[in-house]
Amino acid sequence: MNDKNLITIKNLLVKRGNKVVLRVNELFIKRGEILSVVGPNGAGKSTLLLTLARLLKPNAGQILFNGNPAQKESDTAYRRKIALVMQDPLLFDLSVYKNVALGLEFRGASKSEIQEKVPLWLERLGVANLTERRAKKLSGGEAQRISLARALILEPELLLLDESFSALDPPTRANLLDDLKPLLKNNATTTLFVTHDLHEARKLATRMAIIMKNSLRQVGNANEIFEAPIDEDMAHFLGKI
Amino acid sequence: MTFPPEIFQITLLSLQISALATGISLLIGLPLGTLLALGKFWGRSFFLSIVNTGMGLPPVVVGLFVAMMLWRSGPFGDMNLIYTPTAIIIAQTVISAPVVIGLTSAALQSLDPRLRLQLYGLGASRWQMIWALWREARLPLLAALMAGFGSVISEVGASMMVGGNIRYQTRVLTTAIVLETGKGNFEIALALGVLLLLITFLVNWALTWIQQRGEE
Amino acid sequence: MKKTALLPLLILALLTACAQSASTPLILATTTSTQDSGLLDLLVPIFEEQSEYTVQTIAVGTGAALKMAEEGNADVLLVHAPSAEKVLMDAGFGRDRFLIMHNDFIFIGPSDDPAAIRSLPSAGEALVNISSAQAGFVSRGDDSGTHKKELSIWANAGLTPTWDGYIESGQGMGTTLIIASEKQAYIMTDRATYLANQDNLELEILLEGDEILLNIYHVITVNPDSWDNINYEGALAFANFMISNETQALIKDFGVDKYGQPLFFPDAHKTDAELGVE
Repeated sequence: MNDKNLITIKNLLVKRGNKVVLRVNELFIKRGEILSVVGPNGAGKSTLLLTLARLLKPNAGQILFNGNPAQKESDTAYRRKIALVMQDPLLFDLSVYKNVALGLEFRGASKSEIQEKVPLWLERLGVANLTERRAKKLSGGEAQRISLARALILEPELLLLDESFSALDPPTRANLLDDLKPLLKNNATTTLFVTHDLHEARKLATRMAIIMKNSLRQVGNANEIFEAPIDEDMAHFLGKI
Repeated sequence: MTFPPEIFQITLLSLQISALATGISLLIGLPLGTLLALGKFWGRSFFLSIVNTGMGLPPVVVGLFVAMMLWRSGPFGDMNLIYTPTAIIIAQTVISAPVVIGLTSAALQSLDPRLRLQLYGLGASRWQMIWALWREARLPLLAALMAGFGSVISEVGASMMVGGNIRYQTRVLTTAIVLETGKGNFEIALALGVLLLLITFLVNWALTWIQQRGEE
Repeated sequence: MKKTALLPLLILALLTACAQSASTPLILATTTSTQDSGLLDLLVPIFEEQSEYTVQTIAVGTGAALKMAEEGNADVLLVHAPSAEKVLMDAGFGRDRFLIMHNDFIFIGPSDDPAAIRSLPSAGEALVNISSAQAGFVSRGDDSGTHKKELSIWANAGLTPTWDGYIESGQGMGTTLIIASEKQAYIMTDRATYLANQDNLELEILLEGDEILLNIYHVITVNPDSWDNINYEGALAFANFMISNETQALIKDFGVDKYGQPLFFPDAHKTDAELGVE
């Protein structure tokens, strides 16, 4: 068992009906890295993420979390080690403060812990001024920062980002990525970042994984992949940059 | 009839009966409505259709059905419930529960289905997820409660049939209005009608105030 | 050509048909117990055929029926609350009053008769027994003719019913009978409603025949001087129809085939005094 790997996926198969929607023979996610998963729409990237969030049940295969088979834990116990940020912020009709406190409350955190951490993480994401604002009255960029704070405050062992920036306009997106990258690096947050945007993927990634036509095709650091695509399909996809 | 203590007693009884029936409907309706909205099981749309039909149950039909159950000749006759406030509560619950179930279900179905995934993705247990969805849908859920209460406080057919309109025991505002109208005491009947409207208004006002409190 | 000629003709035919059926309406206010007996279902169509009037029968409580006369909302009444009727006449709201018929009230109750009223000579004594046994008793409590009758008998006996077992249903006779049966309580009812509901009741006749228990029906025409749009002619025609020999004969036989005994006894041209009432 390799100690560096937080997640080890082996022979994973996910079907919808009779159709294979994702096949991954082998994939590691190293502790502390940001793995960007890229591929065209509908290739199976989100399926990988939802499977890792235990929101989808795989038909076959093994997922090791910290070297232990993940299935041994209950869904809830497993999910409390991760945090999910989706394409839309999906904030609740509450104050910003209460939204950010949500995950801590689910974990039974004390009130003093919540009072200490919420302002800290709002500050880190540059939105401390919005604390008492109602979540419904935020701009798209603000809302996504709150959504990120809501996930990061949990200091998850694995952060799952599912197209988390693709609904934002380019300047807002660039700003947010610039702010987020050091935050993830400094806290050594293991992150799986799913996106269809190669540029965005490369900007954040430690390593990259390419999923095409419902299977994992190539994993490596960005330069390796861009310089040595394994076949023509890959070259074609990467050439689109 | 013309002196305030009896009107007070009738009003209080109406409120108690309808509030209790609405409360029981909420206890039944919230879980069942949630199950119908979030659950994935065979026959779900069939049950939803039954509930939606139930939302329009004619009170007199409910009254007849409950009366037949509770009459001494009926299956539950031994419980001696016919012509008691309990009988009215049972009938009113049958009337308002489908309203609460149906509107609860509609309220939860109108939420973004991805909220469930997001809640699980933040580590919510099943119950924490449901609780958070209830909180998110609190406005339409309170509206469901108001509709449930409204459907029974103003209902007369079932209360008359299973309660018997017995003075000091099961006479409520609506049955008293029917009685006073029959007696030709139109002024009293009208006054009781205004009282009924006033109460319905006050209860809805209170609930609306709670509902809108967070909207400032 | 043909089409255009046909349409106006059709409309004309329809209008004529409507006009024929829309004869002058006559509003008859009566009590629910009268309506429930089914007698009016027999008599009203005959009257409508013989006259030019369309009768709109409104069955309400006696109180409401009398109120409808006072406020000009009815043309003619068929009611059975003599003392309240006299108040109406004295106040000038009624023009003519005709004695039509009577039936009678009876006391019924559970067969074990806990207050021992079976075959007592008078209604007053029965009430004394019921009251001292504090037995269950269901009153209409709706200001109806029957309710007023019951109250007058209590008053006659010098009693005020106030114990817990004495309850007021505030509903019609049929429903109140069911309540009494469910509660196995005593009740005073008109014979017609009892006979009609007998099969659904676990109650039997315990006392009958006392003069005080007569239920006397009058027709009252509403005074046309009080209100502009009273159909007085129709009202009078209805009253005359009710006291005619043919109608009286129909009343005499009504219900005999179904219950084996008549529900009403025709009394036209008699006086109140002959029936033993003041």
